[in-house]
Amino acid sequence: MLAIENLKAKIEDKEILKGLNLNIKPGEVHAIMGPNGSGKSTLSNILSGKKGYEVNGNVTFEGENLLDLETEERAHKGIFLAFQYPLEIPGVNTNTFLKTSINAIKKARGEKELDAIEFLKLIKQKSAELKFDEKILSRQLNVGFSGGEKKKNEILQMSILNPKLSILDETDSGLDIDALRIVSEGVNSLRSKDNSFLIITHYQRLLDYIKPDFVHVLKNGQIIKSGDHELAKELEKIGYEDFN
Amino acid sequence: MQTEIKSNFEKSLNDGDFSSSQKEIKEKNFNKFIEQGFPNKRIENWKFSDLNQIISTNFKNLDFSKKDNQSSIDVDFINEFEHNKIVFVNGNISKIDFSYENEDKISLEQDLELDKELNANVLLNLNTAFLSSCIKITVNKGYQFQKPLILYNYLTSDLESHGLNMRLDINLEDDSSIDVINISNKNAKNNFLNFRQKINIGKNSVLKNYSLDINPTSNIKYSFKDINLNKNSHLEYFVFSKGSKFAKHDINCSLNNNYGSVTLNGIIDLDNKKHHEIKTVINHNEENCKSYQLIKSVLNENSKGVYQGKIYVNSKAQKTDGYQLSRALLLNENVEFNAKPELEIYADDVKCSHGSTSGNIDENSIFYLMSRGLSHAQSKKLLTNGFLNEVVEKITNKDVKSLVKKLTGIQE
Repeated sequence: MLAIENLKAKIEDKEILKGLNLNIKPGEVHAIMGPNGSGKSTLSNILSGKKGYEVNGNVTFEGENLLDLETEERAHKGIFLAFQYPLEIPGVNTNTFLKTSINAIKKARGEKELDAIEFLKLIKQKSAELKFDEKILSRQLNVGFSGGEKKKNEILQMSILNPKLSILDETDSGLDIDALRIVSEGVNSLRSKDNSFLIITHYQRLLDYIKPDFVHVLKNGQIIKSGDHELAKELEKIGYEDFN
Repeated sequence: MQTEIKSNFEKSLNDGDFSSSQKEIKEKNFNKFIEQGFPNKRIENWKFSDLNQIISTNFKNLDFSKKDNQSSIDVDFINEFEHNKIVFVNGNISKIDFSYENEDKISLEQDLELDKELNANVLLNLNTAFLSSCIKITVNKGYQFQKPLILYNYLTSDLESHGLNMRLDINLEDDSSIDVINISNKNAKNNFLNFRQKINIGKNSVLKNYSLDINPTSNIKYSFKDINLNKNSHLEYFVFSKGSKFAKHDINCSLNNNYGSVTLNGIIDLDNKKHHEIKTVINHNEENCKSYQLIKSVLNENSKGVYQGKIYVNSKAQKTDGYQLSRALLLNENVEFNAKPELEIYADDVKCSHGSTSGNIDENSIFYLMSRGLSHAQSKKLLTNGFLNEVVEKITNKDVKSLVKKLTGIQE
């Protein structure tokens, strides 16, 4: 589904990714762990098309050159990034935003757009699943949301848009134990033989809830080791500093 | 242009039914206008909007002669919104409908009350020189309007390069209230409008005035408002400035007795080389009065926005609470925004603050929205709408708020 070959990225002459290789097949859950500054967020930004990086290498998504696509086209193709720091958008109602988003994607895919009633039904169902207070959706997007509410809102968006590849950028940071469990359940409910996940995290804890098929260690812009879930536990014991 | 204006003036003076003292006032005002011409950027109040230059680039000639309504015009009355209406066509009243009100409690007069003293503002001199009648709406003591009053200010499409001077006064006697909405039509061609209003808000009275310039026109518009507030009275003023090619809203409020308050909110939303200015002066003349101003501007495609806001606090006006904030979003590199906040304070126990920011749209927010499938244009629209929506949300009349959202497309 996603094939990354020798990906290099620079921002203002600073090399952040230094030749990264990664293959994700449909249905797989991959976790990337790594210390601060190793390039985890850069990777997720580049996959979703954020501007400002000088990028080299090959990235294909379902056989198509991903780097040629605009941010919104990637979303239309089924790539979703759950932000580490979801942005506060004053004056924009969360429901309006969600409806615009899902209909933009449906339209791009040539599917029928949702009317107000269909949309509300979907929202009701998904927010109940995520134990998300619906009232919050009539508020301005992420404005005044708690850290946990912001992250839950990301997962809600993810579950509404039902992407093929979901990238979770440190979704666990700032979550309490209950929120972590709810968010993980949300992710697990989306797991299927077609949907893949790339989970970026510092901590092994999230991976107790969302069992990854593969764990990769990202250090200094490269994946230095890959393994299964056990690798995460090993990493937790040794720490990133001494891990080679 | 001067020769034509002079002959227009001579004719209007001879054709009109004016007393000799009125003629004298008009001549004095006209002579001052001829001497000084349209205001230019050397005049402090006009330093960001050189009207003289704007007039000369937009008009070969300006015809100030009086025009009676010739062609009829279809007015797009606002549907599904219960309201009273007055329709002006080319400055003349063509329809009055107060069907939601007790008409004994309202009066509508057409007199010609001219300022005896020569005003310093040359556009008011021009207005006085050509004015043939002042329309004055009075809301009687103790009467509360049931439904808003919409003033439809329409120009016929055969009117072009015409100079139109209008005056509409509103007088709220004590303990009364009215909500007024100003709307202009879309097919109007390039004309110069010089619109003056004197407003008096009596003791314990409330005026809510929503001025909506939505429809795109090539009009050059100057609107001057002089609003006096008495004890414990309140003004809520909202201006949406978008449609005209050039517009300057010159809004002057005087809080002349204790416990008066003014809320003045504005939106400047421009594209296509338009140039709009909101200029406000709030005079705090007595104690315990409040004023609050929020102006938000979105500028695109070579447009220019200006906000000049002054808060004056008289030495008697202790316990004054004055606030003003201007925020502008500049959507490309070819736009210009000028802000000139001014505080002039002579009392020592006051709370006054002002702020002004201008900046670009946040690219990280655009990225966030685009990562959810929205196009760049859609994301930008959503963000600018959200930015402006804060001002629309300040409208306290819920029906009017929904109407403004519907007419402007600005909503959450």
